[in-house]
Amino acid sequence: MDGESRINYYILFENYTQGMMLQELLREEHISSRISPAPRAIQGELGCGMSLLIQPEEIEQVRECIEKNQAEYYDIVALPCQINPRRNRFC
Amino acid sequence: MIYFDNAATTVQKPRQVSEAVAEAMCSLGNAGRGVHEATLGASRVIFDTRKRLADFFHAESPKQIVFTMNSTESLNIAVKGILQSGDHVITTVLEHNSVLRPLYEMEKKGVELTFIQSDKKGCINPQDFEREIRENTRAVICTHGSNLTGNLVDISKIGEIAHRHGVLFCVDASQTAGVFPIDVQEMKIDILCFTGHKSLLGPQGTGGMYVREGVDVRPLLSGGSGVQTYSREHPAQMPTALEAGTLNGHGIAGLNAAIGYIQETGMDVIRNQEQALMKRFYDGVKEIPGVKIYGDFTTDCRCPIVALNLGDYDSSEVSDELFMSYGIATRPGAHCAPLMHQALGTVEQGAVRFSFSHYNTEEEIDAAVAALCELA
Repeated sequence: MDGESRINYYILFENYTQGMMLQELLREEHISSRISPAPRAIQGELGCGMSLLIQPEEIEQVRECIEKNQAEYYDIVALPCQINPRRNRFC
Repeated sequence: MIYFDNAATTVQKPRQVSEAVAEAMCSLGNAGRGVHEATLGASRVIFDTRKRLADFFHAESPKQIVFTMNSTESLNIAVKGILQSGDHVITTVLEHNSVLRPLYEMEKKGVELTFIQSDKKGCINPQDFEREIRENTRAVICTHGSNLTGNLVDISKIGEIAHRHGVLFCVDASQTAGVFPIDVQEMKIDILCFTGHKSLLGPQGTGGMYVREGVDVRPLLSGGSGVQTYSREHPAQMPTALEAGTLNGHGIAGLNAAIGYIQETGMDVIRNQEQALMKRFYDGVKEIPGVKIYGDFTTDCRCPIVALNLGDYDSSEVSDELFMSYGIATRPGAHCAPLMHQALGTVEQGAVRFSFSHYNTEEEIDAAVAALCELA
């Protein structure tokens, strides 16, 4: 179960609506993002299911977009990926 | 997509459900408002669904069936409608937030709560309820089946205890209505709360409750009822007493068709298929190195749910990988069941929940088992 050191950036929200609104803003600025379950390790008291997964090289653009639009979010957290993407695949 | 999140909602519905909704949207008026053909069409569909549900749960009369938008609304009506300051309630750590949060609200208003604890497998002992009954115990409120582990609760035994002590018995049947037989009279259930969009295979936005005749429930809402217009108070007669405003007639038409499908197919047939799929999955994953499975699998008589973790992997990351690399939809995290996760020691890691429908196939089960073997 050795994970690689790839870092994922997650934006956390207090509810799904905040997340959907920010993703729409990011789309308008052609910044890629993917809705992903928020890892439990970084949810804290939130316990809210969704996060936006951001490419590391685009994280500054994301911050600027948030700032410019005063978009609501809870936190941005960097977390090493646990699952090895280069594991053996049989199916 | 391989859909294994049926405990959240069933995505695949019988064809006749969407047909019934579409037909209703083209023809139904507002039920109980006037007597023209369109309104009567709605009234008939809704009444027919009440009768079906009354028959389904063995209620004494269709007028004891109330329509709501989901279990959460039903549970709010029940919890806030029967409790008041000074009352004591017994509930369990298996409960969903749809039970817990209304109870916590009532706790702030002076209601005392006692939680029946579970063992390490998430099982509770019905006899524990009897030990906790006090002079001011007003109600026992508990789930029929855990939405996290799939463990069933012996509601017949608990109902008998509550009845013997003159305590109201309220059951959350969110995970069981439509797939497990529920007889409100035999099980001595005073209030049964159910949703339409899970095992009942109906549309989202449908749900309801059974309230035993003579049980006084203060309404959560008041307003339009189509009758007694000049009264300053909402009508007291059931089911109107607990239904204010226009009902979801279109959705209820779909729910009617869904119940018809279950009755034609056979609830036992559906349940046996789901439990066979669950067992195949459980047998396939239980030997995976590092796998942790939650719940009691000493019996097959359980909701078709398997919640697990792989080693120390974050459940959200496993669920995400299952979907992104294999197209398998599951639910990670906390499942709105905070006390159950505390009892199982999974608050930090969460759990990956697989929940099955009779529409799933053995091939889908085998694909999920193979995917988990790879991830582990």
